[in-house]
Amino acid sequence: VKARHLVRIRRTSQGFFLILFLVLLVETRLPEDIYLNYSSVFSTEQDISLEWPVTFFFQLDPLVFLSSLFSGYSIIKGFAWALGVILMTLFLGRIFCGFICPFGTLNHLVSWVRPAVKGQDMVKANRKTPGQKVKYFILISVLAASVMGLNLTGLMDPISFLFRSIALAVVPGLGTGLRELFNLMAQIDFKPFNLLSYGAEVFLAPVFGYGYQAFQAAWIIGILFLFVLFLNRIRPRFWCRFLCPLGALLGIFSRFTLLRLEKDEEKCTDCKLCVKACQGAASPVPGQTWENAECLMCFNCFDSCPEDALSFSFRWAPKINNGPDMGRRAVLTGLLGGVSLPFLGKLDGRVSKVSDPRLIRPPGSLPEKDFLTLCQRCGLCMKVCPTNVINPTLSEAGMAGFWTPHLIMTQGYCEYTCTLCGSVCPTGAIRPFSVEEKIQRPIIIGSAYVDRGRCLPWSGNGPCIVCEEHCPTSPKAIYLINQVVPGPKGKKVRVQLPYVDLKTCIGCGICENKCPVKGKPAIRVIAVGESRSLENQILLGSL
Amino acid sequence: MNMKRHMTRRESIKRLAHLSGGIALTGFLPWPVNKVFSATPGQAKKGFIVEGIGRTKGYSTKALVKGVFDAAGGMQKFVSKGDVVVIKPNISWARAPHLAATTNPEVLEGVIELCQEAGAKKVRIADNTIHDARRCFAITGAGMVAKKTGAELIFPRSSLMRKMKLRGSRLDVWPVFVPIVEADKVINLPIAKHHSLSSLTLGMKNWIGAVGGSRWSLHQDIHQTIVDLARFFKPAITLIDATRILTSNGPSGGSPSDVDTRNTLILSNDPVAADAVASILFGLDPKEIAFISLGHKWRLGTYDFHSLDQKKVVL
Repeated sequence: VKARHLVRIRRTSQGFFLILFLVLLVETRLPEDIYLNYSSVFSTEQDISLEWPVTFFFQLDPLVFLSSLFSGYSIIKGFAWALGVILMTLFLGRIFCGFICPFGTLNHLVSWVRPAVKGQDMVKANRKTPGQKVKYFILISVLAASVMGLNLTGLMDPISFLFRSIALAVVPGLGTGLRELFNLMAQIDFKPFNLLSYGAEVFLAPVFGYGYQAFQAAWIIGILFLFVLFLNRIRPRFWCRFLCPLGALLGIFSRFTLLRLEKDEEKCTDCKLCVKACQGAASPVPGQTWENAECLMCFNCFDSCPEDALSFSFRWAPKINNGPDMGRRAVLTGLLGGVSLPFLGKLDGRVSKVSDPRLIRPPGSLPEKDFLTLCQRCGLCMKVCPTNVINPTLSEAGMAGFWTPHLIMTQGYCEYTCTLCGSVCPTGAIRPFSVEEKIQRPIIIGSAYVDRGRCLPWSGNGPCIVCEEHCPTSPKAIYLINQVVPGPKGKKVRVQLPYVDLKTCIGCGICENKCPVKGKPAIRVIAVGESRSLENQILLGSL
Repeated sequence: MNMKRHMTRRESIKRLAHLSGGIALTGFLPWPVNKVFSATPGQAKKGFIVEGIGRTKGYSTKALVKGVFDAAGGMQKFVSKGDVVVIKPNISWARAPHLAATTNPEVLEGVIELCQEAGAKKVRIADNTIHDARRCFAITGAGMVAKKTGAELIFPRSSLMRKMKLRGSRLDVWPVFVPIVEADKVINLPIAKHHSLSSLTLGMKNWIGAVGGSRWSLHQDIHQTIVDLARFFKPAITLIDATRILTSNGPSGGSPSDVDTRNTLILSNDPVAADAVASILFGLDPKEIAFISLGHKWRLGTYDFHSLDQKKVVL
């Protein structure tokens, strides 16, 4: 195959997988046109699930597979894809980085549009440096931490990183901006503007998941994402070259790659165009040893060589390539870091002693310890949630649980018969669950309590039954007692006072969400009573 | 999504173009806009009330719908050729039809078909749902009905909420779900349910699902706000679905034990009378229900339904 063709194939493949990634990301939401046949559901509850395989890229990711295996002893659904990627790496090197990885493609694109430096400087910039060992350090840290029972992989895994960044920061950011524009246009008293605004919203709403999601503290995720893209101004594909733990993992497997860079020193004129084009700093120039573990398999060197001194070919001879140059220090500090991180992360006692009362996990979440062994913090559950209740944590789950999902009831609520978050979780940190489990109450996510000082009827400020009205259980977990209470100016007010029956409450939070006392509602849900924990209980014999 | 839906959308935008200018203005209009947009109330005409009951086992719900409309003179009496008809069911909760928290989809289907037979240009289903709209459409069966009949199910997006002058005694300016006021004819299609504050939710209270804003604060003066809204949204006709009624744990229900099967439909051009008749199904005295007596007081209709032209249809 000619070099030009190879590069063209690579670009096509990169484009395809980036678009596929974005399409799957956009489709990680309830579609507008789902129709259940009502005559067939006459007396049963049906689960509504997504038609698209939205977890595909997570199944493809060997790091997600390995960390779940080491940490939670769990073999995730669709892991065969990850095995396929490892197998492919044994034959073809880091072809995943060059041809498939959407984050790699994005970094590649940014580096290509605005190269960090030009000419001779780029040749210098693309020389292999010891800094490239950092990614091995990161890989060893997250894998060691996984073995010790805390899965931090998702913080640095490129698929989780990209999904989280786009789903929680880029899409909501763009969506909010556009919606403000549309609202502005809708307010202007000029017909074509109103029309345009409505039309644009109808057209764009499906892309933004209909509801225009917002995520608290997602600005940190957004800034980090911009920062990583900006790093490409320092070195091409900075992330892939220095930071990516998945790249490091595939680098280790690429030791046995059969597809190799062949160098013809006699033809080489030492023009260094190959080095200039090499985004992985893998020493393509003849005279140096090719660093197969660093090579991103982009075929730029092959394409750029004017003398045909470079070529890629399969060698079946049992010739072992260079091992990845990770260095003893990266391995040792990586191990040390990985072993100590779980202890550091749990120093605050959030996991083992007292958890934050507002740490309400999605229904179907595993017990906290197991949850932290599997959660990739990827944001799939947050993206798919139709009410936008699931948000990334900051401090609620302690340092160990940074960016894991929790429910903020002022922003949404857990819909009674919705099972979407469990159906999309790629690792089973939120296990798949059924509507029946929510209705029959094996799954409880928390308990509601009334803040009588704020409550309208309790404080004598007037009638209100909104929490009771929305309570979805039957019989309702919120019940009303008719009473006369002292109101303002010594008046007696007849009201219905809300009480919570903890034996019926499931903690869904719709009461908190709909309470007219906004900001800090008069009825709130805390995590106590959650069915996933044996300790976090109030009532005797409730589990 | 097929071509038909595309046409629909274009049409709806075109339709909106006619009205958006006017609607954008409404906030500033000194005169009551309900005169401009709503169908004229049936106050001057003789009121009627038709009660349809399915007694035979396995009766067809759709036939009962047709029966009550035929007894009232047929759908063409209310819907003219070329009308854009908006039906306001109660599909606010993501509950399966058998739980009686939402309008029976078979009744909805029957009404849509009658509108289409009467020559309606366009039939739309509009409700500002409480639960997520997509899940409500799917689970209540309204989505399936829309797909089957070709009616347009309107997604309650924020750009379709506009502040309008209601000129009620309690509500002055409030965000309203635009497609309902832009229709040529509006059909109110609620389900009869228990409600812990207003005691029942019937036809008049169904209009709380036609507004946006912080509607949970309406509960602080629920009866007056119900009447204010009912005076603003004057439907061409009200059909109360009492095929299954929710007798307890309302308005959301959730258990088949809260449901009572009554196989009844109540059709009237008098919104107060329709609610009054429906309240009797629950064994209540309509005069005792504050929003019904308030509606009577404000001359929205009469709870004295015996004074109306009464008919009964039994299948």
